[in-house]
Amino acid sequence: MKAVAALLDGIVLGLQYGLLGVGLTLIFGLAGVVNLAHGQIAVLGAIIVALLMGAGWAVIPAAVVGVVAAGVFLLFIDLTLMRAVYREHGEHRILLGLLLMLGISFVIDGFLNWRYPIESLTIRIGGDPVPILGVNMRTGSLLATAITIGAGAALLVFFQYTTLGRGVRSVIQDEQGARLVGINPSSVRSFVFFLSGALAGLVAVTGSMTAPQASSFGIRLTTLALIVAVVGGLGSVAGAFLAGILLGIIDRFASAYIGQFYTTVILLLCAAGMIVIRPSGLLGKRA
Amino acid sequence: MNVVDEYLGDTHGNVGSGRAVGLIRAYLPIVIAAVLIALIPLRYQDSRSMMSVITVGVLFACYAVAFNIIFGSTGQLFLCSGALAGIGGYGAAILADRSGWPIPLALVTATVIAALVAGTLSWIAVRRALDTIFIGIVTIAFALSFENLVLGKGDWTGGESGLRVSTGSDSWLTGQIAPYYVFLGLLVVYLVVFRALQRSRIGWAFRALRDDGLAAELSGVDVSRYRILAGTLGGAMLGLAGGLYVFSESRASPSTFSFGNVDVSVLVMLAFGGIGSLLGPVVGAAAITWLDEFLDAVGYAQIKEMIYGAVMVVLFLGFRRGIVPMVTDLFKRKPK
Repeated sequence: MKAVAALLDGIVLGLQYGLLGVGLTLIFGLAGVVNLAHGQIAVLGAIIVALLMGAGWAVIPAAVVGVVAAGVFLLFIDLTLMRAVYREHGEHRILLGLLLMLGISFVIDGFLNWRYPIESLTIRIGGDPVPILGVNMRTGSLLATAITIGAGAALLVFFQYTTLGRGVRSVIQDEQGARLVGINPSSVRSFVFFLSGALAGLVAVTGSMTAPQASSFGIRLTTLALIVAVVGGLGSVAGAFLAGILLGIIDRFASAYIGQFYTTVILLLCAAGMIVIRPSGLLGKRA
Repeated sequence: MNVVDEYLGDTHGNVGSGRAVGLIRAYLPIVIAAVLIALIPLRYQDSRSMMSVITVGVLFACYAVAFNIIFGSTGQLFLCSGALAGIGGYGAAILADRSGWPIPLALVTATVIAALVAGTLSWIAVRRALDTIFIGIVTIAFALSFENLVLGKGDWTGGESGLRVSTGSDSWLTGQIAPYYVFLGLLVVYLVVFRALQRSRIGWAFRALRDDGLAAELSGVDVSRYRILAGTLGGAMLGLAGGLYVFSESRASPSTFSFGNVDVSVLVMLAFGGIGSLLGPVVGAAAITWLDEFLDAVGYAQIKEMIYGAVMVVLFLGFRRGIVPMVTDLFKRKPK
């Protein structure tokens, strides 16, 4: 019983992890930037939603504005600070991108900590728990899962069947080649920054249906996104989802059987171990 | 132009005629810096809080020199300076307080452990030929794991509230002014080690490594050996500084060694002062310590984190070589 509950919870959590990792992995694949502010941007979105709801907005419009705002924020970063990064090449580009995003994460964290230290987002979903395989699942988790699966499916369709989605994949595979067939890598990149920010915001919104998203959660979410993206293979969208689900299950089993404190350590070790054993991750292409 | 700037030393290479002149040129900056730093307490010796601030400033300069050996000299992005210092700090505290070891022995042992851990990380990175980014991620994972373990293993570490250590009769580490000079002594030793490394055959290897690892390897430099050496040495320096700090404070607490506190500050200091330069870490530590105090004094303590983030962005965007190399260049430009 405990195991089934851990498994189901793990899948629910893992889908969220996956969506979190996808945002980070996309930007790395496309721009070579490790977005160490990913979690902070998610929290920024969540706090905007919370403030709008506090001002009397209905949940859905508030959530939409928060998600879009997170996307626009990252788009803004792409159009301004990241220009300097794109002028660099190889290792220097990666290093500069990483350090700049680390700086930005401190700016956001510092801002939230200063203005909204105790703000948090909770979206209450009413209704009785639904029994699945004998485990009572809260409606909040189920709705969050449904939205996450919907978003994942939409991403899949987008990357598989739309011109823009294929364009994104082509730039990830070979920027030069993409340019040759008439794709502008720069606008694809801007689009993906927006998409990544919006996905981060979406994770915070769906996350708040099961647990409050506090303004201090940024670093934790960033760490999780990084772990998921690394285990899945930096740059691999399918890998991020697969890794997310696996890590979600590991997370729930570890905290049910070993203890909460070790859970984070175990997840971190998964990432470190993956880099050491197979740097390309579960589904990433070999360098 | 890059973050890990190509330029390594400020005075290497132009050693003047004769060994003595070369020696003086090489080590004079350290002497001058040490004298200047030694004079600072004249102004602040009456204030316990200011003494503690500038002592921490010198401690961070030590951290930054150690990080400079690992990152500045061999390009290994170790984002676990805080954790390595914490291994020294908590290790020494646990050995001395829980197991009743004499303080010097506990310090040495903890330093060796920190060195071994850092050396192992370096060894893994070299063996698996990890890119900068992957070294960064592995070491961040290690740093965060360490933080979680410190908080989780409360029976060993005292968890959130930290671990108190009694220094007993070894009070030379606890007074108001003495610890400052202990860390200053440590800083001078670290700087001398850094300079001596630069001037030795190892320094040539480091430079070759930094410029082009592959070319260095092809011309017979044992790349992996020097990377692991730098990692181990830097780890030992971080561990020793962390251990000493725990005894001077009579306590080990998790926030003292956290990623957000140590690694970020060290990165900003090094970026400001100049990565890979001898006095860059010292200048950077002085500047950031001053800024920190200034922000407290004008009542901006609450938005410190924001300001540091912004400073970091500005530094890495527009000011990548750092102050010390820029100033040295100014002096070097000979009139024609």
